[in-house]
Amino acid sequence: MQELIAQVINGLSLGSIYVLLVTGFNLLLLVAMIIHFSYPQVVVFSMYITWLVLRVTGNNLPLGVIAGVASSVLINLLSAPLFQKVMAKREQVDINSTMVLSMGIGMIITDVLSHSFNGGLAIAFPDNLAGDTAIVRVGLISIVSGQIWSLAVGIVSVALFFLLLYRTRPGRAFRAIAEDPNGARLVGIPILRTGLYSYALTGVLGGIIAVLLSMLLGAAYPGLGEQVAHKVLAVSIIAGLGNLAGGLVVGLFLGILEAIVQGYVSGSWSNAIAFVIMLVVILVKPKGLFGTKL
Amino acid sequence: MPLPLYYFLSITAVNILLSWALYLPYRVAHLHFITVANMAISGYSAAWLVMSLHVPFGWALLAGFALGALVGWIVALFIGDAPTFAVVIVGFTFIFIVRTVIENLPAVGATMGIFGLPNIGGNPETHRWVIMAILAGMLLLTGFFLHRFDHSRLGRAASAVFVDKDLAASLGVNIKGLGMLVQTVSCTIAGGTGVLYGFIYKSFHLDFFTFALVGIAMTIIFVGGYATPWGTVVLAPILYGVPLLFPPAIQEWRIVIYGGVLVIVLVLKPEGFITRRFVATMESFLSGSRKKRNILTKEEL
Repeated sequence: MQELIAQVINGLSLGSIYVLLVTGFNLLLLVAMIIHFSYPQVVVFSMYITWLVLRVTGNNLPLGVIAGVASSVLINLLSAPLFQKVMAKREQVDINSTMVLSMGIGMIITDVLSHSFNGGLAIAFPDNLAGDTAIVRVGLISIVSGQIWSLAVGIVSVALFFLLLYRTRPGRAFRAIAEDPNGARLVGIPILRTGLYSYALTGVLGGIIAVLLSMLLGAAYPGLGEQVAHKVLAVSIIAGLGNLAGGLVVGLFLGILEAIVQGYVSGSWSNAIAFVIMLVVILVKPKGLFGTKL
Repeated sequence: MPLPLYYFLSITAVNILLSWALYLPYRVAHLHFITVANMAISGYSAAWLVMSLHVPFGWALLAGFALGALVGWIVALFIGDAPTFAVVIVGFTFIFIVRTVIENLPAVGATMGIFGLPNIGGNPETHRWVIMAILAGMLLLTGFFLHRFDHSRLGRAASAVFVDKDLAASLGVNIKGLGMLVQTVSCTIAGGTGVLYGFIYKSFHLDFFTFALVGIAMTIIFVGGYATPWGTVVLAPILYGVPLLFPPAIQEWRIVIYGGVLVIVLVLKPEGFITRRFVATMESFLSGSRKKRNILTKEEL
């Protein structure tokens, strides 16, 4: 029972990160109208930048966090014109071509990470970020500071993000474009500018996720982005593409499921089991459990 | 046959076949990456049949085709008419699951892979010629099939589905049936290609079936031109061959180069280099007849 509770706490930390990732992914889908498949790869790139800055500055945490967030915002803003150009060429929104473009960007990021950082080997974050010392230990349950921080910051970030979406003017503009782009344009919402805001906002979110993932996992490797990207797209599809509330439920569920499986199944099988469950749900309900918002 | 030439020709042929296996479902806007997983399933199964049960290579190759078709058909039952992004994620998830299963299966060498596959025909030289002959035969057959498909009612139906699924459905196109057909044929091609891919090197390793392979095939299709099979034929040898001319330090970055080329082409020329209009012009030029009317893609209209 103690082990189960420990895994559920671990799963909530992981799940809150999935929720943030899926929310960022869905925001880009709904407002910028792109499937940014490589968004998690951007996040992993930010993790590497954070690691690099920490190393160069002798583990200066604020600088590392700022660098991680800035790099994520920068990549998102730099890629925005590419996506806009592809959509303009097609003279209409074409989600599939933006997905292929995003995969191309992901290929570049993953390969750059595997050549340019730490000789392609996995990177480990310092203890002042990852915090691998147990601060609560009850029987088998051992909770490290990284888990608590990532869970707390994850929950606060999700709450703030949903508050922004549902209780502020920019949030209403985002949702208006998501519901009806033409209607939003008619009532004076600047579509292009709001779209760019969504790139910047998801960039900030990506940076925060990068720091949280660094705290939770304590390490990263070039292929991490691909693996997370598949999970994020799978969670989005299972929840229903663009369904923010659905993403919240399924993201948390996946995190808990994965943590529980990891607790009871050894080695690489744990990830595969999560993937099999996701695959079965997608095969049976390819349009999602909660309905798509597209 | 010199070894470098053998590898260049055989791997180019594999790249063309893999890209064609992706091209066919993309005719109905399905990015069917399960083909890479199918290459692994069929390849490893054939290798196991040859090494453990001493099944002759010919039968193992046929089994590879059959297994590819079976897996493709079963999956297509569920996602024959699914949206593109669902098909994409099913493909990626399948690759991940297959890789995990293989790396945990001692019967197929787990993380070490399968080495020392026998020479077909007894000696290395005959082996190379046999592999080249089979690959050439597969290229001709698949190319002929794709040509006939593109010029058939089914091909026109696929073009209609690509442009507007709802319109195609209202015109009476059986979207699920068509999706299942192209997905199953695609997986059949991938199954056979997977077997040959490993037998080229006389070994199978998980590194052969990575997400980078998906990236290579995607670059070939979208840079070459996704609306005709000819783009693949032109681009596959260039994309594989040109980096070989560069120093090893640059060759290491070939995936970054592929990704860069893919992004640039998608932004500047999203229909790719070899378009249907180009092929139609070439056909009319070569036959000396007037230009035929063709169904064009959205970018070409």
